[in-house]
Amino acid sequence: MNPIIAKAIEEGRYKLLEHESFELLRQYNIPVPDFALVQDVDEALRVVKDIGYPIVLKVVSPDIVHKSDVGGVILNISNDDELRSACERIRSNIKEKAPYARVSGFLVQKMVPEGLETIVGATKDPIFGHVIAFGLGGVLVEVLQDVSFRIVPVSEEDARAMIREIRGYKLFNGYRNMPARDEEAVVYIITRFSELLSDNPNIVEADLNPIIILERGKGAYAADARFIIGIS
Amino acid sequence: MEPQSQVQSGKSVELTITSPLDLLFNPRSVAIIGATPRENSVGGVITKNLLTKFKGKVYLVNPKYDEVNGTKYYKSVLDVQDEVDLCVIAVPAPAVPKVTDECIRKGAKVTIIISGGFSEVGEEGARLEEELKKVALNRIRVLGPNCIGVYNAFNGLDTFFLPEDRMGRPKPGPLALISQSGAVAGAILDWAARRNIGVGLAVNYGNKLDINEAELLEYLAKDSRIKVIVMYMEGLKYPGEGKKLLDVLREVVGIKPVVVYKAGRTKAASGAVKSHTAALAGNYEIYRAMLRQAGVIEADNLTDAFDMAKALATQPLPRGNRVLVITDSGGMGIQSVDALDTRGLQVPELSESLQEILRKQLPPLAVTRNPIDLTGSATDAMYKFVLDTVLPTSYVDMALIIALMQIPGLTINLGNYIVEARRFNKPIVVVSFGGNEYVAKFERHLEESGIPVYHAPHRAAKALWALYEYAKIKGAIRGWVA
Repeated sequence: MNPIIAKAIEEGRYKLLEHESFELLRQYNIPVPDFALVQDVDEALRVVKDIGYPIVLKVVSPDIVHKSDVGGVILNISNDDELRSACERIRSNIKEKAPYARVSGFLVQKMVPEGLETIVGATKDPIFGHVIAFGLGGVLVEVLQDVSFRIVPVSEEDARAMIREIRGYKLFNGYRNMPARDEEAVVYIITRFSELLSDNPNIVEADLNPIIILERGKGAYAADARFIIGIS
Repeated sequence: MEPQSQVQSGKSVELTITSPLDLLFNPRSVAIIGATPRENSVGGVITKNLLTKFKGKVYLVNPKYDEVNGTKYYKSVLDVQDEVDLCVIAVPAPAVPKVTDECIRKGAKVTIIISGGFSEVGEEGARLEEELKKVALNRIRVLGPNCIGVYNAFNGLDTFFLPEDRMGRPKPGPLALISQSGAVAGAILDWAARRNIGVGLAVNYGNKLDINEAELLEYLAKDSRIKVIVMYMEGLKYPGEGKKLLDVLREVVGIKPVVVYKAGRTKAASGAVKSHTAALAGNYEIYRAMLRQAGVIEADNLTDAFDMAKALATQPLPRGNRVLVITDSGGMGIQSVDALDTRGLQVPELSESLQEILRKQLPPLAVTRNPIDLTGSATDAMYKFVLDTVLPTSYVDMALIIALMQIPGLTINLGNYIVEARRFNKPIVVVSFGGNEYVAKFERHLEESGIPVYHAPHRAAKALWALYEYAKIKGAIRGWVA
């Protein structure tokens, strides 16, 4: 069993922590923004020298499900002063809105440049096993139900077909003044994600949300990830 | 896997190695346990079917009879002297485990258990099914229980217990049907028989205690008499079997086309609202994903499935998506273009030089761009001229021919011209619509000569789409972009 997942199970957690999710993705060469788990503001100031601004600061806690709802995420921090006050602000937000939550630390994460936001998700179906879903991010996925599915293992060809199947695919080729997007980078992420799922049958649910797709040739990043482990 | 059957002469299939699945469809001898002379009972219809049609030995088993109309009845299958390849069991459910055990002891390798009253009726039935499973496991292969069994038009094996006057039997042909529902299978065969559609093999697997869709697909893929497999499915039931089915489908599709109609779609739609991907993966969506991944042609309903299947069984694969449309009705021509375009097929304008050639021969009112509208003054000869002039050119990959036979210039001879155009080795489908006997004769002539006929342009367009899709899957289309 993957040590990251083994550790979560050992600690009785059904959900991977933010940095664990990123580490798992990294093991499969799925691009994630540079990140570091830190305990305090001084450590944050140290790691940011390597990561570089702008960054996102997130609270890491096994007890908080929706970090943004409790003021646990601050975006677009661009210098040391802002970083100091962001740490302060998150601490006081948590104290006020989730006083009993255990805090494992902060995640310092490089801001990914803007791009086309998509979602790659997975569920585990009793009959078919892992199923991967792909769709555009945000409201579109909800309102239009513009999602395609494939059963793991998903080949490169399958991944390409599932990307092209959604109605919003037109956006990949550029629209008005928006540039064409790096479709092959998403094909790569989906196939690597498929392998990750094949190797780890304990994963019952996963979301890479959002995956930010940059201009053609510039790649794509999983800017956030969530893994749910089935503890049986 | 080794091919287990081979064609020896033009018609008959001789089985060299006999696996249980071969014996399920092509037994040399069949015992009916629960045979009876009582007409219109389940066992009675099966008895009559096999006695009158089956080209092999039939042994009737029922302790209640000794002999009826000169046909011997055995007390038990164990009393039969000769070898029994296949046992058909149609006795009340509680007796099934016992007679199944007798079939095993007789040395039969496969059984069709028609009897209902198992897991489909609740706890007591489920217990009985478990008992049956224990008896059969690793000793005999089981189709069913609670199924309508096998219809084989080639050898007359017919366990469909619906009387002939209620369910017509289709002639032998290149289509095979796997149906999760027995009633639906019966209705489809009746429908196909009426329309003269050849369905060589049909099978329903009921509660799926043992033999499942995947194995049936594997067998049908190997049977060289079958060109297209049509499958009606509602849902899988055992953990993990989805992946197995996907793997098998993918393999079979590489050998011959598979057309699937999956019923029970809407439950998924309601679940697909939430942004949470867990909720997004509604049931039907997963099935559809599997079908697409496997390269299966998905049908929207049963007639749609057979519309596509008969084209796939009779037509060559196209090398591109460009369609020549010839019509004697402008309106039908427009409808066809709409339907083709919706399916991603093109109706390209013909080159000026080609149109010039057409214009010289056709009446002045005819439209030569494509669709080629011969108007109400069309004749057989005009269709022939356009077909022979345009279809062989590299401008088009297939033809959709609309022939409304109500106009006096068209005769049944048009059918011959269309059939002759098969020599260009491009797919041809025909749209015909009407009610008189002359139209029916024209259509029958075409269908019997391997040209599929449709009663609406959108159905013909869908059939061409299926050919194009399968051509893509087989890699017959160059420079394919998904």
